[in-house]
Amino acid sequence: MMGQLLTIARAEWQLWLRSRLALCALLVFALLLAATSVATALRMSKEAHDRAHQQAAAEETFLSQPDRHPHRMVHYGHYVFRVPPPLSMIDPGVDSVTGQSMFLEGHKQNTAMFADARASAELGGFENLTSALAYQLFLPLLLIAIGHGLIIREREENTLAPLLAQGVTGMALHAAKWMALAGASLALLLPLAVLCAIAVGQGAAPLASLGIIGLHALHLLVWCSLILLVSSVARSRSLALGVLALCWLASALIVPRIAVESASSAIPVPGKIETDLNMQAELRAVGDGHNANAPAFRQLKANLLAQYDVTRVEDLPVNFRGVVAQSAEADLTQVMNKHAEERMALEAGQAKFAASFGWLSPAVAVSAGSRALAGTDLATHHRFLREAEAVRFDFVQGLNRVHAQQLAYSDDINRSSDMEAERRTRLSAENWQVLDRFDFQPAAANDRLARAGAPAAMLFAWLVMLTAIGAWAARRVQP
Amino acid sequence: MTTMLSTQALGVERSGRQVLKDVSFETEQGEVHALLGGNGAGKSTTLLTFLGFLTPASGSAQVRGREVGKDVSAARQAIAYLPEAATLYGHLNAYENLLYFLTLAGTDTNRPALDAAMDQVALQAEARQARMQTYSKGMRQKVAIALAILREAPILLLDEPTSGLDPAAIDDFNRLVRDLAEGGRTILLVTHDVYGACHVADRIHLLQRGELVGAFDRPSGMDRIDTEAVHAAFATHAAT
Repeated sequence: MMGQLLTIARAEWQLWLRSRLALCALLVFALLLAATSVATALRMSKEAHDRAHQQAAAEETFLSQPDRHPHRMVHYGHYVFRVPPPLSMIDPGVDSVTGQSMFLEGHKQNTAMFADARASAELGGFENLTSALAYQLFLPLLLIAIGHGLIIREREENTLAPLLAQGVTGMALHAAKWMALAGASLALLLPLAVLCAIAVGQGAAPLASLGIIGLHALHLLVWCSLILLVSSVARSRSLALGVLALCWLASALIVPRIAVESASSAIPVPGKIETDLNMQAELRAVGDGHNANAPAFRQLKANLLAQYDVTRVEDLPVNFRGVVAQSAEADLTQVMNKHAEERMALEAGQAKFAASFGWLSPAVAVSAGSRALAGTDLATHHRFLREAEAVRFDFVQGLNRVHAQQLAYSDDINRSSDMEAERRTRLSAENWQVLDRFDFQPAAANDRLARAGAPAAMLFAWLVMLTAIGAWAARRVQP
Repeated sequence: MTTMLSTQALGVERSGRQVLKDVSFETEQGEVHALLGGNGAGKSTTLLTFLGFLTPASGSAQVRGREVGKDVSAARQAIAYLPEAATLYGHLNAYENLLYFLTLAGTDTNRPALDAAMDQVALQAEARQARMQTYSKGMRQKVAIALAILREAPILLLDEPTSGLDPAAIDDFNRLVRDLAEGGRTILLVTHDVYGACHVADRIHLLQRGELVGAFDRPSGMDRIDTEAVHAAFATHAAT
């Protein structure tokens, strides 16, 4: 039985290797893959290097600031950069559309922006043609080109009857043809495996890399089963090709578009500006931390005076303005985080809703899983936003703490009118060490595998369903 | 004598239309039988039923005494089938084609055996290494016949085997069929060619619109069936 399967599969390979159409298609795909792989790998490698360099430069710039008032450092701010993970050379995911850097400063949560003009200039261009897309969208086209005639060709060329007459069952014929196409698909995954090996060499998690290869293999096997099924039930090669082209169009272009539009309609997400406007009223209630006499801080003042058993803020052992800045920042951050979390929850809901269209399109499933495994999905971007916010809050509060503990209240309030007081409010640059080093890393491989679980399950369900229907069709193969 | 092929009141339907009705005949080991009839008479349908590609609606078809439907693979194992207009694989040469099908059938072979079979069907030696997409219809037919020979199956079902062959090749083929039968093979062939059938067959079954309407045996001591009688019967039934 296995001998029969291998014989038929080998003959199919022989046909492809001797067919100009198959060789041309293979050559075109190889060129496409080589071009996209090299271009994506070079681009992401340069991005990673540039952003790591910019991150180090930003930290050095912050730490090398001269002695000055700590609140000036709060507003001087700091930059953080999301360095793309090694597997982004295969699938850059949302990297080019979400922004990769952020300016951190007191009292504000800024939107992520693009690290440089080049990244934004590339938006919507051919930069989108990545090796992941080559595998997810174009490789199925190649498989259709070489595989649409798997069974129907035997019928059209009158070789099916002699084949079956040799004792080959319909099931064996289907299995052998599937093996031939699956073998070709897996061979075409070799460049992906090489890219993954390079990524592992650059620090990517081997488990996630294997996951990417496995997920793409599963996706291609789904296409192998679909192509075989259509080739088995179609009445002519041209019909099989037409039906498969329609399936590709639906899976690769139409359903993903519908998924995005439906997710936007089903779960509307307010933009950053709209969110900021909604937030303003709540932020006003918190009070302006620059004005220690604002009504919002009366209770804080009373509590402090009572705590230290004094009657004037000038007599407090801490700088009241610094304490107000700390308190206001904490309250502001709570409000901002609440809105940010709400917005991220909606965005995550949208992404989940769109990803559920993987039940209708294998391309949607594989792209969602691939981004998750590469560490370039929306969840990773959200983690970047949260980690950036944590850095922002820590360094701002660190400076506020310095403000409260090391700066005399009297100098603070007189620094505009008293040059000597102003000089004393310039604290040592050593205090800027409150800044934590920002080193964004993708989630652990296990977490990424877990996030890719649902898309992988969708692809597996596709494979099982198509294989079951294929088995049904195989039993009915007649010359 | 062993009955190799038989049908009892065989009826077959295709696409809701009855294409064989109450067909009964038997073919013994070493006999050559020909199914003769016009287009749509049910000749090829009979062969496909022996191969298990079609299921009887009534009656039965048996290969070596066993109902085909009960063990299709055993039936196919016993049969070498040469379909009408066999093209085999254009991207393979004659050797590769033969090896491919023989491997699938589980028949051991070697290069000298392949050459011997192709010699038997008079396929030019220089053509054997060329891909079959460059072959004429007759050359392809010769390779298909060589395959049927090499299968060493006890039963040969040949559907229009001489179609596309030149007169000399047809004569060679007819001699080959007789040799195979004398070697113990059982042969059921389907043809439009009255003259050829009369020369090669031990018995001719005349089919018309799915029914057996006549049978002609080779008279004892004669080298062929009476062509005139078959021609007359064929013409009469074709006209009705």
